[in-house]
Amino acid sequence: MKPRIAFFDFASCEGCQLQVANLEETLLDVLRLVDVVSFREVMKEHADDYDIAVVEGSIARPMDEERIRAIRARAKLLIALGACAHLGGVQRLGNRWTPEQNKKAVYDGADGNDIGDNNPFFEKPRHRALDEVVKVDVVIPGCPVNRDELARVLVALLTGRRPPIPDYPLCVECKKKENVCLFTIGKVCMGPVTRAGCGAACPTYGNECEACRGFISHPHADAQIDVLRKHGLTPEEILSRQTLFTARHLEQQGKVS
Amino acid sequence: MPPERAGGRQPETPQGMGGVPLTRAVGSPRPDSPEGWLAMKILTRTDFHAFVNALIRDSGMEVEGVKAKGLKYAFGPLETAEDLRLDYDVTILPPKKYFLPQYETMMTFDLANPFAARQPDFPARRVLIGVHPYDIAALRQMDSYFLDTEMSAAYLKRRKNTLIVGSDVLSVPERAFFGCMGTGTVPSGFDLFLTDLGEKVAIEIGSEEGARLLRFAAGLREATPVDVQKVKALRASAASKAMRGLKVRPQGWHDLLEKNFDSPVWSEQSARCLGCGTCTLVCPTCFCYDVQDDINLDLRTGERRRTWDGCLLRQFTEVGSGEVFREDITDRYRHRFHRKGRYLPDRLGFVACVGCGRCGMQCIADAADPVLLINRLFDVSPHLVEESVMDPQTVRTDLREIASPEEVRPLHLPSPATVVRVETLTDRERLFEIALDNGRPLGHAPGQFVEVSLFGTGEAPISVASHPGGPTFELVVRRVGDVTTRMHALKAGDKVGIRGPFGRGFDVHALKGRNLLFIGGGLGLAPMRSLINHVLACRDDFGEVSILYGCREPREVLFRDEVAAWAKRPDLQHKKTVDRCPNDVPWDGEVGVITTLIPRIRFDPRGTVAIIVGPPIMYRFVIRDLLKLGMPERNIIVSLERRMKCGVGTCGHCQIHGICVCKEGPVFNYADIKDLPEAFA
Repeated sequence: MKPRIAFFDFASCEGCQLQVANLEETLLDVLRLVDVVSFREVMKEHADDYDIAVVEGSIARPMDEERIRAIRARAKLLIALGACAHLGGVQRLGNRWTPEQNKKAVYDGADGNDIGDNNPFFEKPRHRALDEVVKVDVVIPGCPVNRDELARVLVALLTGRRPPIPDYPLCVECKKKENVCLFTIGKVCMGPVTRAGCGAACPTYGNECEACRGFISHPHADAQIDVLRKHGLTPEEILSRQTLFTARHLEQQGKVS
Repeated sequence: MPPERAGGRQPETPQGMGGVPLTRAVGSPRPDSPEGWLAMKILTRTDFHAFVNALIRDSGMEVEGVKAKGLKYAFGPLETAEDLRLDYDVTILPPKKYFLPQYETMMTFDLANPFAARQPDFPARRVLIGVHPYDIAALRQMDSYFLDTEMSAAYLKRRKNTLIVGSDVLSVPERAFFGCMGTGTVPSGFDLFLTDLGEKVAIEIGSEEGARLLRFAAGLREATPVDVQKVKALRASAASKAMRGLKVRPQGWHDLLEKNFDSPVWSEQSARCLGCGTCTLVCPTCFCYDVQDDINLDLRTGERRRTWDGCLLRQFTEVGSGEVFREDITDRYRHRFHRKGRYLPDRLGFVACVGCGRCGMQCIADAADPVLLINRLFDVSPHLVEESVMDPQTVRTDLREIASPEEVRPLHLPSPATVVRVETLTDRERLFEIALDNGRPLGHAPGQFVEVSLFGTGEAPISVASHPGGPTFELVVRRVGDVTTRMHALKAGDKVGIRGPFGRGFDVHALKGRNLLFIGGGLGLAPMRSLINHVLACRDDFGEVSILYGCREPREVLFRDEVAAWAKRPDLQHKKTVDRCPNDVPWDGEVGVITTLIPRIRFDPRGTVAIIVGPPIMYRFVIRDLLKLGMPERNIIVSLERRMKCGVGTCGHCQIHGICVCKEGPVFNYADIKDLPEAFA
């Protein structure tokens, strides 16, 4: 019997699920491998009987916490899909301030009537990755996830192999593509400390890597900071590069609150 | 120098100092050409462009040349001669990408019948236009590396299919130092060689195939002595600009690096290193690679791919159990320079650097430039450097003289074999008895290993646990990674692929008549058993025999029946121990680390050979105790674990300093490797 797979989302833009929906011709191949029983973005049907839960988004509110625990309890395998589920997403930046400060920043002065008091998203907005709340079996990193990688992970899981998520820096893929290094044309990039697997998508099109896939397991962060400093970044700018997607790593090192 | 050169062939051609052959590979100098130069022709710029366009249009070959890529340059398919940039400084990647591609499908397979795996078709004939001399020198080194060590059919096919049109360096790359490396010019290794003289282009002919290319050119005229003088002046000027004040000539690098192995310079310099692997990826003389299996979405077909790897990356030395043998960036950083300046020179006779400057230019931390590193080492230890400590640089003979690709056994193609029997030894270890489908015995020596291949998952190096002889062989497999996990699901009758046996095993002949002390820890008993069982089968050929065996807990004991039988034999001493024993578990051995067993047996330390196989941590303590008892270093034999990926000494993963464990090991005499800091780190 084909494994039954269900998609869920928490605090996120749902862009990663859109990547799945956009698998196009590959999607038909994937559908031969699994039964999709729940996928709000593409179908009306929903079932609570599934083997694999693919979850996008970060966990912020108590109600989210309850819901992810329930999903976890039903799923044999839980896959964290994308940077929000993997790292807490860009929204994790908000963790540096109190909910009250965030609410004020969002609403104060913008609309005299609505001060967000009834908005449940400020209930307890400490954004966490899935594995900070429940056990996660597989992480597919990225903002958004790489479609090919998603397919490769699925194949690996269905054939009893470990998901082929690389643990070397983006530079490896970037060099193999013979891209012009962004540092040599006056840009800066988080590639040297960022986990590869996206095919160096952004640098290939001339865009700086922002570490959406998180750091490799042993990043040479100090050497990277040196390089950024030499390329003219201020300490504030460096911190902002380091925390856009990867504040979680710095929190773990106690470098930001 | 190691006792024998890899491949056993001696270099035949006298060489220049940067890996440049001094004799010509193809053709002979024209008697009327000035100073014995090869034939040189001249085309006007317009005619040259027409020539390149005719090649693109009419030659039937893929025409690749140097083109602009942003503000940099790269080799790529030429659509028109206008795109060819002979004024380039250096390309981002060297032309090695055409011969050892970034990603290469080695074979495609159908899981229903994987041994019918097919090698993909290779591209039609190809011509590369604009290859600089230093890159030609690097290609010659690559020939030597892949052809001298182990034939690679795919490499050879590509190399033979590709014509090289060289070109002189017009703009010297910022970090280049090919002037110091003797690779600013090359007298051979090309089919044609271009010198852009502005209004006209000089074309040197390097081979008959090159000469035949010129049938696509109209308006050719012979070069005059004045033209030749211009070419020579241009070359001299480029070479003299690419010097950069390197303080130690390449011949002296070996000595400088060897004597500075423990220098603080390594940690000082590697502190800046990002460990990103760029320096190795862009290097024209870095050839290390990884091999991975992929299964397609149909879950039925797949491919085995080779891809570039690099020793600066942390997981380069990681084995299935998670052990990383060069965990510290300083060790990896040092290894790269030592491989270039010491290990490959020892193995092949040349410094594996041609001075292209790509690493220095592309390292954003500026930690990779060989000139800066060598000069730094020299500055802290100028008294160490002696002149000419190495033989002159040598690169092997011309590729075209090598056997045709069809005669070459393809690398990495496993032989079909069948699992005959599976036995569960412990929670983690299973024994697999395997027979080759061709009906032949494996033909291994005790201590050798095989690469077990499971299509769609990959390969893993596994020591042979049975003694030589017999139609089948046995492997003990601990479940640690993908391959071993899938192996544990195999049943009798299932197919596996086998490559090997590989490596150097125990020298049974030399052990004859000697007193033997076996010391095995954990899974180390598996390779050791191949020798123990041979010794016990021919018991009279050997002197006194003692076997010490330790593992963590009683439930981890391998080969329980055999271990129990040792205890009953009157012709050997046997002790066993566990690190800890839970209270309720029956155990008739000792409790404590394995070294505590050594004083509990009678043996003559001076007249006994110790054979030690176990986890990395065990060696240091066991060897220390044996030496203390007066055992000569040469009487200690060990078998080391590393990441043996290719089995034939080319992928780079298993190296301990310059030693390929897969070829020169895994069995070593302690005396031979005791001074290698990485061996027992």
